[in-house]
Amino acid sequence: MGGMDDLYREQILEHHRTPHNHGVLAEPSVSLDGRNPSCGDVITMQLVLDAAGTITDVAFSGRGCAISQASASLLTDELRGKSADEILALGTPYVMELLGVEVGPSRVHCALLGLETTQKAIERWRSR
Amino acid sequence: MSAWHRADGSLDPRKVRAAYPILATRPGGNPLHYLDSAATAQRPKQVVDAVSNFLFTANANPHRGAYALGTAATDAYEGARARVARFLNVPATELIMLGSATEALNLVARSWGRANIHRGDLIVVTEAEHHANLIPWQQVAREADADIEFIPVDDRTGEILWDRLDSLLKLRPKVVALAHVSNVLGSIAPLAEIASHVHAVGALLSVDGCQAVSNMPVSIPELGADFYAFSAHKMGGLFSGGGLWARADLLAEMAPIETGGDMIREVRLRDATFAEGTQRFEAGTPDASGTVALAAACDFLDELGRAAIHEHETRLLARVLRELPDALPDVRILGTPHAEGRAGLVSFSSDLVHAHDLATILDRRGVAIRAGHHCAMPLHEQLELSATARVSVAPYTDDDDLDALFEGLRDARAIFSR
Repeated sequence: MGGMDDLYREQILEHHRTPHNHGVLAEPSVSLDGRNPSCGDVITMQLVLDAAGTITDVAFSGRGCAISQASASLLTDELRGKSADEILALGTPYVMELLGVEVGPSRVHCALLGLETTQKAIERWRSR
Repeated sequence: MSAWHRADGSLDPRKVRAAYPILATRPGGNPLHYLDSAATAQRPKQVVDAVSNFLFTANANPHRGAYALGTAATDAYEGARARVARFLNVPATELIMLGSATEALNLVARSWGRANIHRGDLIVVTEAEHHANLIPWQQVAREADADIEFIPVDDRTGEILWDRLDSLLKLRPKVVALAHVSNVLGSIAPLAEIASHVHAVGALLSVDGCQAVSNMPVSIPELGADFYAFSAHKMGGLFSGGGLWARADLLAEMAPIETGGDMIREVRLRDATFAEGTQRFEAGTPDASGTVALAAACDFLDELGRAAIHEHETRLLARVLRELPDALPDVRILGTPHAEGRAGLVSFSSDLVHAHDLATILDRRGVAIRAGHHCAMPLHEQLELSATARVSVAPYTDDDDLDALFEGLRDARAIFSR
Protein backbone atom coordinates (compact mmCIF):
# COMPACT_ATOMS: atom_id res chain seq x y z
CA MET A 1 0.00 0.00 0.00
CA GLY A 2 3.05 2.28 -0.38
CA GLY A 3 1.69 4.12 -3.40
CA MET A 4 -1.68 4.54 -1.77
CA ASP A 5 -0.15 6.06 1.35
CA ASP A 6 1.62 8.43 -1.01
CA LEU A 7 -1.57 9.53 -2.76
CA TYR A 8 -3.54 9.76 0.46
CA ARG A 9 -0.70 10.97 2.63
CA GLU A 10 -1.25 13.17 5.64
CA GLN A 11 -0.79 16.52 3.89
CA ILE A 12 -3.44 15.74 1.28
CA LEU A 13 -5.89 14.35 3.84
CA GLU A 14 -5.28 17.41 6.03
CA HIS A 15 -6.11 19.77 3.16
CA HIS A 16 -9.17 17.65 2.41
CA ARG A 17 -10.40 17.74 6.03
CA THR A 18 -9.73 21.43 6.58
CA PRO A 19 -9.26 23.07 3.21
CA HIS A 20 -7.52 26.44 3.14
CA ASN A 21 -9.22 29.48 1.57
CA HIS A 22 -12.53 27.65 1.69
CA GLY A 23 -15.62 29.84 1.67
CA VAL A 24 -17.20 32.75 -0.14
CA LEU A 25 -15.74 36.22 -0.74
CA ALA A 26 -17.85 39.35 -0.19
CA GLU A 27 -16.74 41.13 -3.36
CA PRO A 28 -14.89 38.89 -5.79
CA SER A 29 -13.67 40.36 -9.09
CA VAL A 30 -14.81 37.16 -10.70
CA SER A 31 -16.59 33.98 -9.58
CA LEU A 32 -16.86 30.85 -11.67
CA ASP A 33 -18.30 27.35 -11.28
CA GLY A 34 -16.19 24.49 -12.57
CA ARG A 35 -17.56 21.04 -13.10
CA ASN A 36 -16.29 17.63 -14.08
CA PRO A 37 -19.15 16.33 -16.21
CA SER A 38 -17.75 12.81 -16.08
CA CYS A 39 -17.81 12.53 -12.30
CA GLY A 40 -20.05 15.30 -10.98
CA ASP A 41 -17.46 17.18 -8.92
CA VAL A 42 -18.23 20.89 -8.64
CA ILE A 43 -16.10 23.78 -7.47
CA THR A 44 -16.72 27.53 -7.27
CA MET A 45 -13.57 29.59 -7.59
CA GLN A 46 -13.62 33.25 -6.56
CA LEU A 47 -10.79 35.68 -7.22
CA VAL A 48 -10.00 39.30 -6.37
CA LEU A 49 -7.60 40.88 -8.88
CA ASP A 50 -6.07 44.36 -8.76
CA ALA A 51 -5.90 46.67 -11.78
CA ALA A 52 -2.55 45.17 -12.83
CA GLY A 53 -4.08 41.71 -12.91
CA THR A 54 -2.44 40.39 -9.75
CA ILE A 55 -4.44 38.08 -7.48
CA THR A 56 -4.97 39.68 -4.10
CA ASP A 57 -7.52 37.28 -2.63
CA VAL A 58 -9.03 33.89 -3.41
CA ALA A 59 -11.65 31.51 -2.05
CA PHE A 60 -13.20 28.28 -3.25
CA SER A 61 -16.17 26.15 -2.32
CA GLY A 62 -17.78 23.02 -3.70
CA ARG A 63 -17.90 19.32 -3.21
CA GLY A 64 -15.76 16.55 -4.50
CA CYS A 65 -13.20 13.90 -3.74
CA ALA A 66 -10.12 14.30 -1.56
CA ILE A 67 -7.90 14.83 -4.59
CA SER A 68 -9.98 17.67 -6.08
CA GLN A 69 -10.53 19.37 -2.73
CA ALA A 70 -6.92 19.04 -1.55
CA SER A 71 -5.46 20.21 -4.85
CA ALA A 72 -7.78 23.24 -4.87
CA SER A 73 -6.77 24.01 -1.29
CA LEU A 74 -3.05 23.67 -2.05
CA LEU A 75 -3.44 25.77 -5.21
CA THR A 76 -5.28 28.62 -3.53
CA ASP A 77 -2.43 28.90 -0.99
CA GLU A 78 -0.12 29.75 -3.90
CA LEU A 79 -2.28 32.15 -5.90
CA ARG A 80 -2.00 35.43 -3.96
CA GLY A 81 0.63 37.73 -5.49
CA LYS A 82 0.73 35.82 -8.77
CA SER A 83 -0.18 37.63 -11.98
CA ALA A 84 -2.92 36.48 -14.32
CA ASP A 85 -0.28 35.61 -16.94
CA GLU A 86 1.70 33.51 -14.48
CA ILE A 87 -1.39 31.53 -13.54
CA LEU A 88 -2.46 31.00 -17.14
CA ALA A 89 0.97 29.51 -17.84
CA LEU A 90 0.58 26.81 -15.15
CA GLY A 91 -0.22 23.26 -16.14
CA THR A 92 -0.47 19.67 -14.96
CA PRO A 93 3.14 19.40 -13.70
CA TYR A 94 2.60 22.34 -11.36
CA VAL A 95 -0.43 20.74 -9.74
CA MET A 96 1.36 17.39 -9.42
CA GLU A 97 4.23 19.20 -7.71
CA LEU A 98 1.83 20.84 -5.26
CA LEU A 99 0.25 17.47 -4.50
CA GLY A 100 3.70 15.94 -4.18
CA VAL A 101 2.56 12.80 -5.95
CA GLU A 102 1.82 11.65 -9.47
CA VAL A 103 -1.94 11.17 -9.79
CA GLY A 104 -2.95 8.34 -12.11
CA PRO A 105 -4.63 9.07 -15.46
CA SER A 106 -8.09 8.22 -14.10
CA ARG A 107 -7.81 10.94 -11.45
CA VAL A 108 -5.93 13.72 -13.25
CA HIS A 109 -9.18 15.53 -14.02
CA CYS A 110 -9.94 15.65 -10.27
CA ALA A 111 -6.54 17.17 -9.51
CA LEU A 112 -6.84 19.78 -12.28
CA LEU A 113 -10.38 20.98 -11.54
CA GLY A 114 -9.17 23.83 -9.26
CA LEU A 115 -6.50 25.12 -11.66
CA GLU A 116 -8.65 24.85 -14.76
CA THR A 117 -11.53 26.67 -13.08
CA THR A 118 -9.11 29.39 -11.90
CA GLN A 119 -7.75 29.82 -15.40
CA LYS A 120 -11.23 30.04 -16.92
CA ALA A 121 -12.17 32.58 -14.24
CA ILE A 122 -9.16 34.71 -15.17
CA GLU A 123 -10.10 34.54 -18.85
CA ARG A 124 -13.61 35.61 -17.99
CA TRP A 125 -12.27 38.45 -15.85
CA ARG A 126 -10.10 39.60 -18.75
CA SER A 127 -12.95 39.60 -21.24
CA ARG A 128 -15.27 41.49 -18.84
CA MET B 1 -27.35 -27.55 -17.13
CA SER B 2 -24.66 -29.16 -15.00
CA ALA B 3 -21.55 -27.66 -16.58
CA TRP B 4 -22.16 -24.38 -14.75
CA HIS B 5 -24.18 -25.53 -11.77
CA ARG B 6 -23.86 -27.26 -8.41
CA ALA B 7 -25.76 -30.45 -7.65
CA ASP B 8 -28.60 -28.40 -6.13
CA GLY B 9 -29.02 -26.47 -9.40
CA SER B 10 -27.53 -23.21 -8.11
CA LEU B 11 -24.97 -21.37 -10.20
CA ASP B 12 -21.37 -22.31 -9.38
CA PRO B 13 -19.31 -19.17 -10.03
CA ARG B 14 -16.06 -21.19 -9.95
CA LYS B 15 -17.24 -23.08 -13.02
CA VAL B 16 -18.74 -20.00 -14.67
CA ARG B 17 -15.52 -17.98 -14.26
CA ALA B 18 -13.66 -20.42 -16.48
CA ALA B 19 -15.69 -19.14 -19.45
CA TYR B 20 -14.34 -15.58 -18.98
CA PRO B 21 -10.63 -15.34 -19.95
CA ILE B 22 -10.37 -11.76 -18.68
CA LEU B 23 -10.96 -12.90 -15.09
CA ALA B 24 -7.57 -14.62 -15.13
CA THR B 25 -5.73 -11.40 -16.07
CA ARG B 26 -4.02 -9.11 -13.58
CA PRO B 27 -4.61 -5.50 -14.64
CA GLY B 28 -2.29 -3.31 -12.57
CA GLY B 29 -0.64 -6.45 -11.16
CA ASN B 30 -3.62 -7.52 -9.01
CA PRO B 31 -6.15 -10.30 -9.40
CA LEU B 32 -9.19 -8.77 -11.09
CA HIS B 33 -12.30 -8.35 -8.94
CA TYR B 34 -14.65 -6.92 -11.54
CA LEU B 35 -17.65 -5.33 -9.84
CA ASP B 36 -18.70 -3.01 -12.68
CA SER B 37 -20.80 -5.34 -14.82
CA ALA B 38 -23.67 -2.83 -14.82
CA ALA B 39 -21.42 -0.54 -16.90
CA THR B 40 -20.42 -3.33 -19.24
CA ALA B 41 -20.43 -7.08 -18.70
CA GLN B 42 -17.41 -9.25 -19.36
CA ARG B 43 -17.59 -11.47 -22.45
CA PRO B 44 -17.61 -15.24 -22.25
CA LYS B 45 -15.41 -17.16 -24.67
CA GLN B 46 -18.58 -18.55 -26.29
CA VAL B 47 -19.54 -15.09 -27.54
CA VAL B 48 -16.16 -14.23 -29.01
CA ASP B 49 -15.93 -17.71 -30.60
CA ALA B 50 -19.34 -17.19 -32.23
CA VAL B 51 -18.17 -13.87 -33.72
CA SER B 52 -14.91 -15.41 -35.00
CA ASN B 53 -16.82 -18.29 -36.48
CA PHE B 54 -19.24 -15.95 -38.25
CA LEU B 55 -16.49 -13.67 -39.56
CA PHE B 56 -14.31 -16.59 -40.69
CA THR B 57 -17.06 -18.67 -42.30
CA ALA B 58 -20.11 -16.55 -43.17
CA ASN B 59 -18.92 -12.98 -43.56
CA ALA B 60 -20.66 -11.08 -46.37
CA ASN B 61 -23.06 -8.16 -46.50
CA PRO B 62 -26.47 -9.46 -45.32
CA HIS B 63 -29.57 -8.95 -47.49
CA ARG B 64 -27.50 -8.33 -50.65
CA GLY B 65 -25.23 -11.03 -51.96
CA ALA B 66 -26.80 -13.26 -54.62
CA TYR B 67 -24.28 -15.95 -53.79
CA ALA B 68 -24.05 -18.75 -51.26
CA LEU B 69 -21.90 -16.81 -48.81
CA GLY B 70 -24.29 -13.87 -48.93
CA THR B 71 -27.15 -16.20 -48.07
CA ALA B 72 -25.11 -17.61 -45.18
CA ALA B 73 -24.57 -14.07 -43.85
CA THR B 74 -28.26 -13.22 -44.17
CA ASP B 75 -29.20 -16.46 -42.42
CA ALA B 76 -26.71 -15.81 -39.62
CA TYR B 77 -28.00 -12.28 -39.11
CA GLU B 78 -31.71 -13.10 -39.28
CA GLY B 79 -31.16 -16.29 -37.25
CA ALA B 80 -29.43 -14.21 -34.58
CA ARG B 81 -32.33 -11.74 -34.53
CA ALA B 82 -34.75 -14.66 -34.08
CA ARG B 83 -32.61 -16.00 -31.21
CA VAL B 84 -32.63 -12.63 -29.41
CA ALA B 85 -36.38 -12.35 -29.97
CA ARG B 86 -36.91 -15.80 -28.42
CA PHE B 87 -34.77 -14.70 -25.44
CA LEU B 88 -37.24 -11.88 -24.80
CA ASN B 89 -40.28 -13.95 -25.83
CA VAL B 90 -41.32 -11.64 -28.69
CA PRO B 91 -41.77 -12.22 -32.46
CA ALA B 92 -38.63 -11.47 -34.50
CA THR B 93 -40.79 -9.28 -36.77
CA GLU B 94 -41.17 -6.82 -33.86
CA LEU B 95 -37.51 -6.65 -32.86
CA ILE B 96 -35.43 -3.83 -34.38
CA MET B 97 -31.68 -4.41 -34.17
CA LEU B 98 -29.73 -1.18 -33.57
CA GLY B 99 -26.30 -0.01 -32.54
CA SER B 100 -27.10 0.52 -28.86
CA ALA B 101 -29.85 0.97 -26.30
CA THR B 102 -29.25 4.72 -26.61
CA GLU B 103 -30.16 4.48 -30.30
CA ALA B 104 -33.24 2.47 -29.36
CA LEU B 105 -34.45 5.04 -26.83
CA ASN B 106 -33.76 7.86 -29.27
CA LEU B 107 -35.74 6.01 -31.92
CA VAL B 108 -38.79 5.82 -29.64
CA ALA B 109 -38.61 9.54 -28.88
CA ARG B 110 -37.69 10.78 -32.34
CA SER B 111 -39.97 8.51 -34.35
CA TRP B 112 -43.03 7.73 -32.22
CA GLY B 113 -42.54 10.82 -30.04
CA ARG B 114 -42.21 13.39 -32.82
CA ALA B 115 -45.28 12.02 -34.59
CA ASN B 116 -47.48 11.78 -31.51
CA ILE B 117 -46.35 14.43 -29.02
CA HIS B 118 -47.86 17.81 -29.80
CA ARG B 119 -48.04 21.23 -28.21
CA GLY B 120 -49.30 21.02 -24.63
CA ASP B 121 -49.03 17.23 -24.46
CA LEU B 122 -47.44 15.64 -21.43
CA ILE B 123 -44.53 13.21 -21.15
CA VAL B 124 -43.88 11.51 -17.78
CA VAL B 125 -40.48 10.10 -16.76
CA THR B 126 -38.94 9.34 -13.36
CA GLU B 127 -36.41 11.57 -11.62
CA ALA B 128 -34.07 8.57 -11.53
CA GLU B 129 -33.80 8.01 -15.29
CA HIS B 130 -30.52 7.39 -17.08
CA HIS B 131 -29.70 10.36 -19.33
CA ALA B 132 -30.46 8.14 -22.35
CA ASN B 133 -34.09 7.82 -21.28
CA LEU B 134 -34.42 11.47 -20.25
CA ILE B 135 -32.68 13.72 -22.77
CA PRO B 136 -34.42 12.30 -25.89
CA TRP B 137 -37.77 13.21 -24.24
CA GLN B 138 -36.47 16.66 -23.26
CA GLN B 139 -35.65 17.20 -26.93
CA VAL B 140 -39.09 16.04 -28.08
CA ALA B 141 -40.77 18.28 -25.49
CA ARG B 142 -38.70 21.30 -26.55
CA GLU B 143 -39.43 20.77 -30.24
CA ALA B 144 -43.15 20.15 -29.75
CA ASP B 145 -43.63 22.71 -26.95
CA ALA B 146 -44.87 19.83 -24.79
CA ASP B 147 -44.42 19.37 -21.04
CA ILE B 148 -42.49 16.84 -18.97
CA GLU B 149 -43.46 15.84 -15.45
CA PHE B 150 -41.47 13.58 -13.16
CA ILE B 151 -42.33 10.70 -10.89
CA PRO B 152 -40.42 11.86 -7.81
CA VAL B 153 -37.86 9.98 -5.72
CA ASP B 154 -37.45 9.75 -1.96
CA ASP B 155 -34.83 12.42 -1.20
CA ARG B 156 -32.96 10.14 1.21
CA THR B 157 -32.94 6.72 -0.50
CA GLY B 158 -33.72 7.73 -4.06
CA GLU B 159 -36.46 5.11 -4.21
CA ILE B 160 -38.98 5.99 -6.91
CA LEU B 161 -42.30 6.96 -5.32
CA TRP B 162 -44.58 4.87 -7.51
CA ASP B 163 -47.64 5.91 -5.47
CA ARG B 164 -47.24 9.37 -7.07
CA LEU B 165 -47.81 7.94 -10.54
CA ASP B 166 -51.61 8.00 -10.36
CA SER B 167 -51.78 11.74 -9.69
CA LEU B 168 -49.56 12.35 -12.73
CA LEU B 169 -51.71 10.03 -14.83
CA LYS B 170 -54.70 12.26 -14.03
CA LEU B 171 -52.94 14.89 -16.18
CA ARG B 172 -53.38 12.50 -19.12
CA PRO B 173 -49.82 12.00 -20.38
CA LYS B 174 -49.22 10.56 -23.83
CA VAL B 175 -46.28 8.44 -22.71
CA VAL B 176 -44.59 7.25 -19.52
CA ALA B 177 -40.90 6.38 -19.86
CA LEU B 178 -38.95 4.57 -17.17
CA ALA B 179 -36.28 1.96 -16.48
CA HIS B 180 -37.19 -1.66 -15.73
CA VAL B 181 -34.26 -1.65 -13.29
CA SER B 182 -32.71 1.67 -12.25
CA ASN B 183 -28.99 1.76 -13.06
CA VAL B 184 -28.32 3.63 -9.80
CA LEU B 185 -30.93 2.30 -7.38
CA GLY B 186 -30.97 -1.29 -8.61
CA SER B 187 -34.69 -1.43 -7.84
CA ILE B 188 -36.99 -3.45 -10.09
CA ALA B 189 -40.00 -1.38 -11.21
CA PRO B 190 -43.37 -3.12 -10.70
CA LEU B 191 -43.96 -2.93 -14.45
CA ALA B 192 -47.13 -5.01 -14.83
CA GLU B 193 -48.95 -2.88 -12.25
CA ILE B 194 -47.55 0.36 -13.67
CA ALA B 195 -48.56 -0.69 -17.19
CA SER B 196 -52.17 -1.33 -16.22
CA HIS B 197 -52.44 2.16 -14.68
CA VAL B 198 -50.67 3.80 -17.62
CA HIS B 199 -52.84 2.04 -20.18
CA ALA B 200 -56.00 2.87 -18.25
CA VAL B 201 -55.51 6.55 -19.19
CA GLY B 202 -54.58 5.73 -22.78
CA ALA B 203 -50.86 6.43 -22.43
CA LEU B 204 -47.99 4.28 -23.69
CA LEU B 205 -45.26 2.74 -21.54
CA SER B 206 -41.70 2.92 -22.86
CA VAL B 207 -39.18 0.85 -20.90
CA ASP B 208 -35.39 0.99 -20.71
CA GLY B 209 -34.49 -2.63 -19.99
CA CYS B 210 -30.69 -2.31 -19.97
CA GLN B 211 -30.14 -3.36 -16.37
CA ALA B 212 -32.84 -6.03 -16.36
CA VAL B 213 -32.23 -8.37 -19.29
CA SER B 214 -28.95 -9.86 -18.06
CA ASN B 215 -29.85 -10.10 -14.37
CA MET B 216 -33.31 -11.67 -14.26
CA PRO B 217 -35.81 -13.52 -16.42
CA VAL B 218 -37.50 -11.05 -18.80
CA SER B 219 -40.51 -12.01 -20.88
CA ILE B 220 -41.65 -8.80 -22.55
CA PRO B 221 -45.31 -9.80 -23.11
CA GLU B 222 -45.76 -10.25 -19.35
CA LEU B 223 -44.52 -6.74 -18.59
CA GLY B 224 -47.20 -4.73 -20.35
CA ALA B 225 -44.68 -2.42 -22.02
CA ASP B 226 -45.28 -0.84 -25.45
CA PHE B 227 -41.57 -0.28 -26.16
CA TYR B 228 -38.65 -2.14 -24.60
CA ALA B 229 -35.00 -1.20 -25.22
CA PHE B 230 -31.89 -3.16 -24.30
CA SER B 231 -28.14 -3.15 -24.78
CA ALA B 232 -25.95 -6.00 -26.07
CA HIS B 233 -22.75 -5.22 -24.19
CA LYS B 234 -24.46 -5.40 -20.81
CA MET B 235 -25.50 -8.98 -21.69
CA GLY B 236 -22.04 -10.20 -22.66
CA GLY B 237 -22.37 -9.24 -26.33
CA LEU B 238 -20.16 -6.75 -28.14
CA PHE B 239 -20.04 -3.00 -27.54
CA SER B 240 -21.97 -2.52 -30.73
CA GLY B 241 -25.50 -3.78 -30.62
CA GLY B 242 -28.77 -3.15 -28.92
CA GLY B 243 -32.37 -3.45 -29.78
CA LEU B 244 -35.85 -2.12 -29.52
CA TRP B 245 -38.97 -4.20 -29.26
CA ALA B 246 -42.02 -2.20 -30.36
CA ARG B 247 -45.66 -3.28 -30.25
CA ALA B 248 -46.58 -4.44 -33.76
CA ASP B 249 -49.23 -1.78 -34.43
CA LEU B 250 -46.95 1.01 -33.20
CA LEU B 251 -44.03 -0.31 -35.24
CA ALA B 252 -46.19 -0.38 -38.36
CA GLU B 253 -46.96 3.34 -38.02
CA MET B 254 -43.52 4.60 -37.00
CA ALA B 255 -41.43 6.53 -39.51
CA PRO B 256 -37.72 5.86 -39.90
CA ILE B 257 -35.35 8.47 -38.43
CA GLU B 258 -32.35 7.29 -40.43
CA THR B 259 -32.51 6.63 -44.13
CA GLY B 260 -30.17 5.01 -46.61
CA GLY B 261 -29.46 1.59 -48.01
CA ASP B 262 -31.29 -1.59 -47.01
CA MET B 263 -34.34 0.21 -45.59
CA ILE B 264 -36.10 1.05 -48.86
CA ARG B 265 -38.70 -0.44 -51.16
CA GLU B 266 -38.23 1.82 -54.16
CA VAL B 267 -36.04 4.87 -54.69
CA ARG B 268 -36.45 7.48 -57.41
CA LEU B 269 -34.38 10.62 -57.81
CA ARG B 270 -36.89 12.83 -56.03
CA ASP B 271 -38.50 10.46 -53.53
CA ALA B 272 -38.44 7.02 -52.00
CA THR B 273 -40.70 4.50 -50.32
CA PHE B 274 -39.55 2.46 -47.37
CA ALA B 275 -39.39 -1.20 -46.49
CA GLU B 276 -42.00 -2.73 -44.21
CA GLY B 277 -41.39 -3.86 -40.66
CA THR B 278 -38.15 -3.72 -38.73
CA GLN B 279 -36.02 -3.30 -41.85
CA ARG B 280 -37.33 0.25 -42.23
CA PHE B 281 -35.40 1.21 -39.07
CA GLU B 282 -32.14 -0.53 -39.96
CA ALA B 283 -30.58 1.76 -42.56
CA GLY B 284 -27.18 0.78 -43.90
CA THR B 285 -25.29 -2.46 -43.53
CA PRO B 286 -26.67 -4.18 -40.43
CA ASP B 287 -24.41 -5.01 -37.49
CA ALA B 288 -24.36 -8.71 -38.32
CA SER B 289 -21.35 -9.59 -36.17
CA GLY B 290 -22.78 -7.70 -33.19
CA THR B 291 -26.13 -9.44 -33.56
CA VAL B 292 -24.49 -12.87 -33.90
CA ALA B 293 -22.54 -12.10 -30.72
CA LEU B 294 -25.72 -11.03 -28.94
CA ALA B 295 -27.45 -14.27 -29.94
CA ALA B 296 -24.50 -16.23 -28.51
CA ALA B 297 -24.73 -14.16 -25.32
CA CYS B 298 -28.43 -15.09 -25.08
CA ASP B 299 -27.51 -18.76 -25.56
CA PHE B 300 -24.97 -18.50 -22.78
CA LEU B 301 -27.28 -16.67 -20.35
CA ASP B 302 -29.95 -19.30 -21.00
CA GLU B 303 -27.43 -22.09 -20.42
CA LEU B 304 -26.67 -20.55 -17.04
CA GLY B 305 -30.38 -20.02 -16.50
CA ARG B 306 -31.70 -16.54 -15.84
CA ALA B 307 -33.57 -17.61 -12.70
CA ALA B 308 -30.34 -19.17 -11.39
CA ILE B 309 -28.42 -15.99 -12.29
CA HIS B 310 -30.95 -13.85 -10.44
CA GLU B 311 -30.81 -16.10 -7.40
CA HIS B 312 -27.00 -16.08 -7.39
CA GLU B 313 -26.88 -12.30 -7.71
CA THR B 314 -29.54 -11.78 -5.05
CA ARG B 315 -27.46 -13.80 -2.58
CA LEU B 316 -24.38 -11.67 -3.37
CA LEU B 317 -26.34 -8.41 -3.09
CA ALA B 318 -27.76 -9.54 0.25
CA ARG B 319 -24.20 -9.96 1.50
CA VAL B 320 -23.20 -6.52 0.20
CA LEU B 321 -26.19 -4.90 1.92
CA ARG B 322 -25.54 -6.81 5.16
CA GLU B 323 -21.81 -6.08 5.43
CA LEU B 324 -21.60 -2.54 4.02
CA PRO B 325 -22.54 -0.80 7.30
CA ASP B 326 -19.78 -2.73 9.12
CA ALA B 327 -17.14 -1.76 6.61
CA LEU B 328 -18.27 1.89 6.33
CA PRO B 329 -20.27 2.90 9.41
CA ASP B 330 -21.70 6.09 7.89
CA VAL B 331 -22.75 4.42 4.63
CA ARG B 332 -25.90 5.68 2.91
CA ILE B 333 -27.36 2.94 0.75
CA LEU B 334 -29.59 4.00 -2.14
CA GLY B 335 -32.68 2.09 -3.16
CA THR B 336 -34.39 -0.62 -1.15
CA PRO B 337 -32.52 -1.95 1.92
CA HIS B 338 -33.38 -5.49 0.78
CA ALA B 339 -31.80 -7.70 -1.85
CA GLU B 340 -35.23 -8.86 -2.95
CA GLY B 341 -36.69 -6.41 -5.41
CA ARG B 342 -33.21 -5.56 -6.69
CA ALA B 343 -31.35 -6.72 -9.74
CA GLY B 344 -27.60 -6.68 -10.13
CA LEU B 345 -26.36 -3.65 -8.21
CA VAL B 346 -26.06 -1.57 -5.06
CA SER B 347 -25.07 2.12 -4.97
CA PHE B 348 -23.97 3.93 -1.84
CA SER B 349 -22.20 6.99 -0.51
CA SER B 350 -20.23 7.90 2.57
CA ASP B 351 -19.43 11.33 4.02
CA LEU B 352 -16.13 9.94 5.25
CA VAL B 353 -14.83 8.78 1.86
CA HIS B 354 -15.87 10.26 -1.48
CA ALA B 355 -16.82 7.70 -4.14
CA HIS B 356 -13.83 8.55 -6.36
CA ASP B 357 -11.39 8.10 -3.50
CA LEU B 358 -13.08 4.83 -2.68
CA ALA B 359 -12.72 3.62 -6.27
CA THR B 360 -9.03 4.57 -6.34
CA ILE B 361 -8.32 2.82 -3.04
CA LEU B 362 -10.25 -0.30 -4.10
CA ASP B 363 -8.33 -0.37 -7.37
CA ARG B 364 -5.18 -1.08 -5.35
CA ARG B 365 -6.65 -4.48 -4.58
CA GLY B 366 -7.83 -5.05 -8.14
CA VAL B 367 -11.44 -4.24 -7.19
CA ALA B 368 -13.18 -2.40 -10.03
CA ILE B 369 -16.26 -0.41 -9.05
CA ARG B 370 -17.98 2.56 -10.65
CA ALA B 371 -17.82 5.99 -9.03
CA GLY B 372 -19.69 9.01 -10.31
CA HIS B 373 -23.21 9.98 -11.24
CA HIS B 374 -23.73 6.93 -13.51
CA CYS B 375 -25.38 9.08 -16.20
CA ALA B 376 -28.13 10.04 -13.74
CA MET B 377 -27.18 13.58 -12.70
CA PRO B 378 -30.74 14.72 -11.84
CA LEU B 379 -31.16 11.83 -9.39
CA HIS B 380 -27.88 12.69 -7.68
CA GLU B 381 -28.99 16.33 -7.57
CA GLN B 382 -32.22 15.29 -5.80
CA LEU B 383 -30.18 13.30 -3.29
CA GLU B 384 -27.71 16.20 -2.85
CA LEU B 385 -24.85 13.90 -3.80
CA SER B 386 -22.23 14.69 -6.43
CA ALA B 387 -21.28 11.06 -6.82
CA THR B 388 -22.01 7.58 -5.54
CA ALA B 389 -20.10 4.31 -5.57
CA ARG B 390 -21.77 1.43 -7.39
CA VAL B 391 -21.06 -2.28 -6.93
CA SER B 392 -22.60 -4.54 -9.54
CA VAL B 393 -22.55 -8.31 -9.83
CA ALA B 394 -22.84 -10.91 -12.56
CA PRO B 395 -22.94 -14.70 -12.96
CA TYR B 396 -19.13 -14.76 -12.63
CA THR B 397 -18.99 -12.71 -9.42
CA ASP B 398 -18.01 -14.74 -6.36
CA ASP B 399 -17.45 -14.29 -2.64
CA ASP B 400 -13.70 -13.73 -3.18
CA ASP B 401 -14.66 -10.60 -5.12
CA LEU B 402 -16.77 -9.41 -2.20
CA ASP B 403 -14.04 -10.30 0.33
CA ALA B 404 -11.66 -8.07 -1.64
CA LEU B 405 -14.31 -5.33 -1.80
CA PHE B 406 -14.78 -5.29 1.97
CA GLU B 407 -11.04 -5.41 2.66
CA GLY B 408 -10.67 -2.42 0.34
CA LEU B 409 -13.49 -0.55 2.07
CA ARG B 410 -11.73 -1.12 5.39
CA ASP B 411 -8.50 0.25 3.87
CA ALA B 412 -10.40 3.37 2.81
CA ARG B 413 -11.96 3.79 6.21
CA ALA B 414 -8.55 3.45 7.89
CA ILE B 415 -6.95 6.01 5.56
CA PHE B 416 -9.71 8.59 6.00
CA SER B 417 -10.06 8.05 9.77
CA ARG B 418 -6.42 8.91 10.42
